[in-house]
Parts: sequence; C-alpha cells; structure tokens
Amino acid sequence: MVDLARVQKELQECNRDVQVSGIRVSPKADCITHLIGSIPGPLGTPYEGGVFNIDITLPDGYPFEPPKMRFVTKVWHPNISSQSGAICLDILKDQWSPALTLKTALLSVQALLSAPEPDDPQDAVVAQQYLKDYQTFVGTARYWTEAFAKASSLGIDEKVQKLVEMGFPEDIVRSTLEAVGGDENLALEKLCSA
Amino acid sequence: MDLSDQVKKMMEEDEPDDDADSFEKISEAFICCICLDLLYKPIVLACGHMSCFWCVQRSMSGLRESHCPICRQPYQHFPMICKMLHFLLFKIYPASYKRRQTQILEYEKEKGSFSPQFDDPAFILETEKKLPRLSSAQESTVSEYDLLSHPSSSSKDQILLNVAPSESGSIIEENAGPNLQIAAEDVESTILSVDEEKKLQQRISSVNCHQISVCDVLCTLCKELLFRPIVLNCGHAYCESCIALPTNEMIRCHVCQIKHPGKAPKVCLELDDFLEEQLPIEYAKRRTSFQLKQDHLQQESSTTCSSEDAPESVYLPPSSAENLLSWWGDHKVHVGAGCDGCGMYPIIGDRHKCKECVEGRNYDLCGECYATGSKLPGRFNQQHTPEHTFEIMRPNSIRNIMLRLLRGQLEDTSAAPNPSPDTTENQHSSLSSDAQEAAGGGPATNDSVNQGCENERLVKCWAESNEPWRSEPSHDCSFCISPRQIEYWMGMGLG
Repeated sequence: MVDLARVQKELQECNRDVQVSGIRVSPKADCITHLIGSIPGPLGTPYEGGVFNIDITLPDGYPFEPPKMRFVTKVWHPNISSQSGAICLDILKDQWSPALTLKTALLSVQALLSAPEPDDPQDAVVAQQYLKDYQTFVGTARYWTEAFAKASSLGIDEKVQKLVEMGFPEDIVRSTLEAVGGDENLALEKLCSA
Repeated sequence: MDLSDQVKKMMEEDEPDDDADSFEKISEAFICCICLDLLYKPIVLACGHMSCFWCVQRSMSGLRESHCPICRQPYQHFPMICKMLHFLLFKIYPASYKRRQTQILEYEKEKGSFSPQFDDPAFILETEKKLPRLSSAQESTVSEYDLLSHPSSSSKDQILLNVAPSESGSIIEENAGPNLQIAAEDVESTILSVDEEKKLQQRISSVNCHQISVCDVLCTLCKELLFRPIVLNCGHAYCESCIALPTNEMIRCHVCQIKHPGKAPKVCLELDDFLEEQLPIEYAKRRTSFQLKQDHLQQESSTTCSSEDAPESVYLPPSSAENLLSWWGDHKVHVGAGCDGCGMYPIIGDRHKCKECVEGRNYDLCGECYATGSKLPGRFNQQHTPEHTFEIMRPNSIRNIMLRLLRGQLEDTSAAPNPSPDTTENQHSSLSSDAQEAAGGGPATNDSVNQGCENERLVKCWAESNEPWRSEPSHDCSFCISPRQIEYWMGMGLG
C-alpha cells in the first residue's frame, strides 16, 4: 500500500518552495497515487523557457519502489522517448532509493534535460542526431520546446485571441484548437494548411 | 500563548492525532528519510544513518544485501533498535512520539507482525528520575557548567518555582507534556535549599519530560556524554573512541556480548550534531578531553567518520542479473528469511527454523547464531523461548529456479560479462568484502542493468506471493521469461 501520509508530506514540502525550484506536483484527480508534475526547462539548454509536464503513477510499493514517470509534454531528448515520453533514468529504475522523493526525482529528470546521456539512449533516433549532428539536434529540441512546452502557458482564450488576430475566423480557430488538444502551434499549422 | 491556553487548545482539538503535536518542532535530524515523519523505534545503520524500524525493514532486500537509502552503503544485517534513541525521542517529543506509536501500532495490527516491545517509556522515565541523578561525578560537573552558563540561574529558579505548582498540576492532569519553552536547564542547577530542591525534583518529573540531560545520552561503556556516537548492530550506543578496533576479531558489544558484523560503524553525525547543539558545554568538555587523549596518543590511528569517508561511501548497488548471480554464488541463500539472532537478511548458509513459533512470523537463526545458542526473543516480537526446537531448512525452490533462470538468461543474451569465478569462490570466507566487491564491480552494460533490475523485481514479486510463478509481472520487459514458461519448466522437473 502506498504510504499516503508520506505522499501528502511530499506534496506540502514541494509546494512550499515552488518559487525557488519551479517544480510542481499535484494530484491528477481525487486519487493521490496519480499525480502530475511539472518542471521548467533548465536555463542554457534548448529546453529553456518551456514547462514540461510529467505523468506520475505511484506503485503500491512506493516509496520502496520507484514512481513511474512519463513525459506528457513532447520533448526531443536522447533519453526520453519522443513517442511515448518514457524516461531512461537510473534512479527511476534500479538505482531508486526510498530516501528519494518525487521532488528529488523530478530534479533529477530536470538535470537529465541539461545533461543528456546519448550513449544510453531511450530514443535511438534522437541519440543518433545528438551524436552526429549536434546543431540540428539543438534546433529540433528548441523547436519542440517552442511548439509543445510553451503552448500550455497561455489560456485557451488567449490562444484563440492570438490566432484570431492573425486573421482566422474565431469559430474555426476554436474548433481547430480543440481538435489538436489546445496546442496553438499545431492549430496554426493546421489553419495554414487548410 | 501561555501554557493553559495551549492545553485548552489541545483539549478542544477533535483530532489530536493531527495537530496535538504540531507545536513540537521536530529537529531535522530526527525526521526519518523514508516516512518523512518523526523517527519511531529508530535504527542506526552501520553507515551512521538513522531510520525507523519498519522503514529499514521494508527497504531491505530479501534477495541479496541491502543498501542504506541515503548513502547506498551495503549491509547484510538488520540492526536492532537503538533503545537509547527511542527513549530520548520519547522524552523530547512526547506528543509526536505517542502519535507515531498509535500510528505504527495500527500498521502492525493490519500487517499482523509486530516490532519489539519495550517497557513503557513513561515508566522508564519515572524510574530514571528516582535514580540518584545528581550524585554521580559527571552530574556534579554538569551542574557546575550550568552555573557557568547561567550565572543568574538561582534567581530564575526562584521565579520558576513560584510558577511551577500550578503548571505542573495541569500538566499531570492533561498528561500532555507540551514542549514548553521554560529554561529547563536551569532546573539542573543546585544552588537551592533542600525544600526547594524537593519541589524541583517533582517539577523535573512532570514538566521537564522533554528536555534532555546528559544521562539520557550516555555512552554504554564510559558512561559519559556520547562523543562522536556510533551504534552497533545490537543497538547499543558508544563513543567512537570507546570502541577499540580489534585487528582481527569482530567488535563485540560490552553489554550484550553480541558480535557486530563487519567493520566499525561510522559516526552518527546527525546525533552528534544534535548533542553538540543541545548540550554545548558538556560536549565541548568531552571534545577537549578527547583531544587531550588524542594528543597523548600522538594520533596513533586515524578515526573513521562518515563525513571524512564520504567518497568511499558512494557505492553503486548492483542490481543486474549477473551481479545477483555472483552475489548468490553457489551458497545457500534463503530468500526472504532473516536471522532473528544477528539480523542477517537474507540468511546465507544454514537456516534453522523454530518449529514452535508458527503464529505470525517465523523465528529463524543462521548457522552461527544457532551454534552459539542465541537467546534473543526475535526481531518481530515472536514469543520464542530457548526451549523451542528447531529444524534445518533447505533454501526455498524460488532461489534455485531463479538461479537457473538467471544463468540461462545470461548465456542467452551473453552480452553481460560473467561473474569472475574468484568472487563466487571466495564468498564463503569473507562475505562482507565480497559484497562490496560486487557492489563496486561489474562493468555491466546498461541493457543488462535494466534487465537485471526487472529480473530482480520479478524475483521479488515471486518470492513474496504464495504461488509466485503464477503472478504476472507488472511490467513489459522483453528480457523476462513469462510465468507460463516457468510453469512449463517446473513441469519438466527443473524446480
């Protein structure tokens, strides 16, 4: 059984210094074993400026088993699957210790963003690009950050307004945004190609 | 807020469990790194890190050696609870500790397995007060130091005593023991008339439950304030300097005569810092005398300390299949069974199981503890007595199956380097050193590390369930052999 008291303590602790760390964790629904975490992209990396959401599921054995973490926000990184968001990080697997917390685990994921390990890849395509054509990798990673990790910072009305200002009719903008799950960049692409 | 208000507030609380102890500011040092709450029945690992009894128990691996959750230092023995710390914490944080007691008892009832029971701490504290506290040599020096640090203490005490009767009365009634900010160290001073001292003693036993004095934190051997404390596997605390390092022999506790496995434990730095902070003058005195002694000995030998040895204590826990294999080697590992004598978990070598302790947890002894006739009652409060009879157990079949599986898998994938034969052979003679080798060694590829991790989890899940091989693994790992296949193999007579 998950140690609920501990999870609650962790959430309190994490929300206390959210201003400093920028790391947030909150329950996804009423169920405390399913959470959503968010980390800011580290400064000086292609992920700078983005906010990355991570889906967290606590197994029954938590904290004696690692939490299951997966990127919800699409991210271009050698150790994170560009398809599924799966993270290749030792502390989330065999190097987990019950003394680690959701916050420290998310900090480690954030550290992984700034220090990729292309020799131990999760996404072989990204890792190849990282090793062979670093400039393109940085460009793609930055583009993905712009496209996916920044969209959620705007409210839906702001996005609509932004697209309407570009000259698209409001009702079409709304339905397109809805169709792409609120991603303004994807919506823009769709609107332009339509 | 004055005391009566606090007590009233407490009485008004509907759920005292949640908030009654919120005014007890628990020192960071005594927060368990696993449950993130006040340590309950604390255990100090050989690396000097503390955790609760159940937190340590649950974080241990039943398959192989365990690792400290904080520094990852490997260990193989489940240490006993440090009673000194247990009573100390009860004294400092009575309300929080009571809350934890209730909480853990619920957990234990649910689990049907209990931690060792001690005499009621309240009782112990009462009897402790009746001991001739102020008569011994160190107590008188304590008083002197208190006088030095509080030149005006006598006048303070006069004032305090005037307030005391009503306060202590209400405390006894409410049985609350709140964390008062009364300068309780003043209570220790001795410039008082006989009558006043009597009153004072009464006050100590009621109000002063949460303030520590030197006699709460004495070294088991030198009976002075612990200086750079270490805790042996048996749970007894010593000054680092009081434990002489025998060159070839194992360290043995002076009180219970139980051997401490492995090298000397490292200093419990959290406790050390806490003592320095709480009892600065006494601690400084101890430091001075220690340094004088050291100078005298011309720094004969270097001391061990977890801060000094920090780089050494960074271990990479081996989890890969081949490491597990090399760790198990060819000897009998009793997956999931621990020795109730020395705490070895899992038991390696002979396992003797008590035939009469059938309720709740088994009572097991390792070969050595059986041979020396361990009289310990059991790690989980089993009702074991020395008259009980034992039977020798064979390693459970899970281990054998897994051994075959791991071997088979290693040959199949053949990407993973085989464990060196020396390691496996030497393990009989020196287990701890080999465990460390295994911990540091193994140039495993990352694929095999992942594979090992998944395998180990699978083994664990098998070992814990009744019909282990029937449970489906909760993960998708292309390396793992399906439970169906194992069933098939078992049918072939491999099990």
